[in-house]
This record gives sequence, structure tokens and C-alpha cells, in this order.
Amino acid sequence: MFKALADASRRELLDRLRAENGQTLNELCVRLDMTRQAVSKHLAILEEANLVATVKRGREKLHYLNPVPIHEIGERWIGKFDRSRLQALSDLKRNLETRDE
Amino acid sequence: MIDVSVFTPKTVYVTYIAATPEQVWQALTDPAFSKRYFFGFAVAVEPREGGAFRLHDPDGRIHASGEVVAWDPPRRFSSTWIVEGMGGFDALPACLVTYDIEWSGESVKVTMTESHSWNVPDAILSGGRSGWPAVMCNLKTLLETGKTLSIAPEGPPPEMVEAVKKAVIEKPWLKR
Repeated sequence: MFKALADASRRELLDRLRAENGQTLNELCVRLDMTRQAVSKHLAILEEANLVATVKRGREKLHYLNPVPIHEIGERWIGKFDRSRLQALSDLKRNLETRDE
Repeated sequence: MIDVSVFTPKTVYVTYIAATPEQVWQALTDPAFSKRYFFGFAVAVEPREGGAFRLHDPDGRIHASGEVVAWDPPRRFSSTWIVEGMGGFDALPACLVTYDIEWSGESVKVTMTESHSWNVPDAILSGGRSGWPAVMCNLKTLLETGKTLSIAPEGPPPEMVEAVKKAVIEKPWLKR
């Protein structure tokens, strides 16, 4: 999973699925600076790592972001009480950074 | 019986569990077992197609109700869901929750699919998206270790409650 996440193009594909879940390969290729072949290969790696789940619909294959393995990692290292502190820190960071813009 | 073909998957979650399909099936359909990984919520289901489906909250009240659409142990369990007792949520069209269970090498692949019959806004999906990963994770941990460690997700996010109110007034599912 970490290997799958280590690549910027693959993280971009996950971001695009987060923005719009259930896209086909063709839809994912739009406005991407990658060949169709490269996108297809990246998706296969993401699916292998269980970060992307797919559903066949007729002749199309729809791709969905699967955050379950990331959730598992979170539970392993983030405890119940850390969570609210981390949320507060991340809110603070976001507030300060948007104010700078 | 509802027309399943008008439903589109909006959220798909997959986890691999070191267990048998029969154990996963029991976990998904047994009231006492479901309570242990579903944060105190208990599944109650009539074991047949067309049977009633209920999800009781930890106080025993009905949280969601629906109809069994597929009952194919230990492979596929699918039912409609209408969330009740949350002011307005029950005015939304039913969604469809399907579990597919299949062997994948030495473990079992469990796929949870939430499908909708209308163009449901992301804000409404956000509720399920904040809860389901924790439920799936907890199910895996419980079956593999006999224990649970997950933190209960918080109630519905405020933007979800707002989006539900808006949808109930505008009824976008009636416009085609």
C-alpha cells in the first residue's frame, strides 16, 4: 500500500476519485498528462493495493476510492484521544494557511 | 420488489478478512454479532428475499429499515435502507446496501456497495463515508482477533443534515 501511495501520479488519481467517485478509465484520462496505458497501469497497482475498488457495469469498469486500508493504518497508530488533538492541530494549520493567501 | 437496475453504486468499500465466507455471512446478518462491530447497532433480518430488514440503534430503536433484495448465503446479502428517526432522512428515496463475499486466495474479499437511484449529492453521501470504513475495519478486526478496537464515528456531519433538509424540500429525484 505504501508503495502504491509513493507515486505522485497515483495520488493524483486517488484525488480525482475523491472529487468524483465511480469514474471510468476514459473519464480519468481527461485532462491528465499521462497516456491511457500509464493510467491503466497505475489503476491496476492501486487496485492491487486495495486503494481502488472496481465495479463492472456492462462493458465499463467504474473505479472507486477505497479508504478502508488507510483507515486500518489510522486505527493502528492513532488512539481515541489523539484523534481530537490531531483534528485541532490540522484545523489550526488550515486556518493559518488560508489566512496567508 | 424494487427495480435494482435504476440504482448506481456511489460508494464501494473492500476489505480482505482472514475468515471463511460463512463466518463473514454470520457477522453481517446476526443481531448479537453485528452489535459487536457495528458500534452497538444490531441487524435484524428475515432470512429470505422480500423479507424485512431492520437496523436497531444501541437503545433498541429502529435506525434503518428496508426490504431484503438478495439473500444468497454465504455470497450476497442486499437490502434497501431508509434511515428513520433522524428528522427528514426517511423522506429520502431508499438506498441499496449490498455485501458481496468471495474467496480471494487464503482470505475472503468483502465488498460493501451503497447504491442510489438518484443523483445524490456528496454531502448526503458524506455520512456513510464517515461511518462505513470504521464498520468494515471493525468487522475485520473482530473476525481476525476476536476483539474490536475501532472508535465510534460521530453522528451525521452538519453538512449532511443540511443537504438532507434541502433535498427533502426540493425532491430532485422526481425530476428526470
